[in-house]
Amino acid sequence: MTAPTYVEFLNQRIKAAIAAEPRVVVYGQNVATGSCLSGLSRGFDKLPQCTVINTTNSEGTLVGMGFGLLLRGVSSIFFMKQQDFLLLGVEQLTNTANALRHRDLTASFTIIAIVVDSGWEGPQSCLNNLADFSSISHVPGYTIAGRAEAEAVIDRHIAAPGVRLLGVAQRLFRAPIVDYGTPEAFGGDKGVIRHATGDDATIVAFNLAFPQAAELHRALAERGMGASLFSIPATMPETVDALLDDVARTRRLVTIDDGKSVNGLAHAVASMARARVPGLQVVEARRPWSPESAAPNADQFAIDASRVATALTSLPNA
Amino acid sequence: MTPLPAFAREILRLRMSQLLINERYKAREFRVPIHLALGHEAIAVALTSVMGAQDQLLLSHRNLHYNLARSRSLRAVVDEFLLRETGLAGGKYGSMNLINPAAGVLYASSILGNNLCLAAGVALAERVLDSGAVTFVVTGDGAIEEGAFYESLLLMAGQSLTAVVVVENNEWSLASRIDERRGPIDLASLARGCGAGFRSLSGNDVFAYAAAFEDCRGTAQRDARPVIVEVAVKTLGDWRQPTEEFPDGKYINYHAGPAPTVEVAPWPLMGEGDADPLRVLQASLPEATLKAEAGVLLADLQGELA
Repeated sequence: MTAPTYVEFLNQRIKAAIAAEPRVVVYGQNVATGSCLSGLSRGFDKLPQCTVINTTNSEGTLVGMGFGLLLRGVSSIFFMKQQDFLLLGVEQLTNTANALRHRDLTASFTIIAIVVDSGWEGPQSCLNNLADFSSISHVPGYTIAGRAEAEAVIDRHIAAPGVRLLGVAQRLFRAPIVDYGTPEAFGGDKGVIRHATGDDATIVAFNLAFPQAAELHRALAERGMGASLFSIPATMPETVDALLDDVARTRRLVTIDDGKSVNGLAHAVASMARARVPGLQVVEARRPWSPESAAPNADQFAIDASRVATALTSLPNA
Repeated sequence: MTPLPAFAREILRLRMSQLLINERYKAREFRVPIHLALGHEAIAVALTSVMGAQDQLLLSHRNLHYNLARSRSLRAVVDEFLLRETGLAGGKYGSMNLINPAAGVLYASSILGNNLCLAAGVALAERVLDSGAVTFVVTGDGAIEEGAFYESLLLMAGQSLTAVVVVENNEWSLASRIDERRGPIDLASLARGCGAGFRSLSGNDVFAYAAAFEDCRGTAQRDARPVIVEVAVKTLGDWRQPTEEFPDGKYINYHAGPAPTVEVAPWPLMGEGDADPLRVLQASLPEATLKAEAGVLLADLQGELA
């Protein structure tokens, strides 16, 4: 049987997650016309509980509209064609979310933003770090790069009361969904996922870098190195204790972050790990940034497994 | 003595309540910024009188008059301003975001234009829920300069949403008059261009206002479209403050903060002509009855706060 593509899997999973909801407003630009956002929002108009609206180009108001629906107990999903559009909704995302902190919310409001991360869009590709929006607004966010993340995030969060952001990767849309098997464990609100346990290093994927992290994990195994593998889909994970416990055991941390923001969660986790594990060895793989990054380019973020393996084995206490 | 109509009594209550709040504000009892709405009483009394049981009201930072009208409790409002648990919203919202969902005040925002976007969502929710309720949202002549006003109007009209958008036009945004910051906005034309209804109100006649709001609410329901109601209003309590540059006194249109020259009085007329809803009442109702009622109300409200 052919594995579903990333976008097919997400589309099916979201529909399944809201199947039991009595009513959901699904809205955004082109959600039920044209390609339906390359298939991401296809078919919601066939679900009896869904009110589907192809909207105007009014992102600030559309974010506020979701909050309005939420206040009246109606759940909604706002499919946003490009994550940078959310910049126009930051006022609502921040001020209104904070104005509702003390309200008893029974419905759900989810903004699913397509992260423009292929690089060919040039300046638009510069904003690819979902956590930046969480940092501004304190609205929880979750990135989805693989099957386990999709299942954990969509199943647990999309119909839950409250507000959240979901970031999905445009560059992965047509590829088969990355399936690294059944995760070993989840942490907190499923914002931290343990995919594998090994003794030689702890690999952690941030933002949408799980495919690269999984590839590195596989490549290290081929070189005889067993590594633990985590992904952190949550932009504000409740706890990373399980991850830090693992780092304390392996004493080698590899962070892989494809985000272009200076406010990377990877930095924070590495700092926490360093504070907890004296002498910890850290290899940080980040997407390089230069003014050329703002011009259209292939924007590949490939991890050289040989170099990482060499770095890990040459570390002082290896 | 013939009893006063309920509308008149309500206007008096809102005026006296604000004067008592102003006294405490002048005495620096409040830490939260408060936007008094002296002169706005007729709009609030009229609008809230036509709200149906399920209708929702979304307010701006200048929301005191509506919250006083809907809550019917000066004590609860003052306690909220003091951030006490006994406040109208449990002491969690202060002034600019003050809500009272049990009385239909669903949301209030200190951000210009912010509540318009939520109103579009609330109105959409009423359609999805098939509640028949009307969404009222209050904004001002400053907020209609924001893109959110146009965006929300397009959404409401495009989705056939039942809403009444009230624009309180006091001609000021912070310390700048309309003619200091922009050209005129022809809301009637804008509404027509977007497929919305429009009504213009002025004169502070609470009875006429209530009839107009009732009509606009019915139009919004019958036609399934938003109706803009632009209300001309003067925020009373302004004063002249002598400075080196302006020895005769610089005109101060206070945006927030207390009105230092305003005092509690048994018969608290403030503005000239129909700028003051009390003068409009005085022109059509027995003055002795109004003054007697004002005195009773003042004593009652002082007792409520004692």
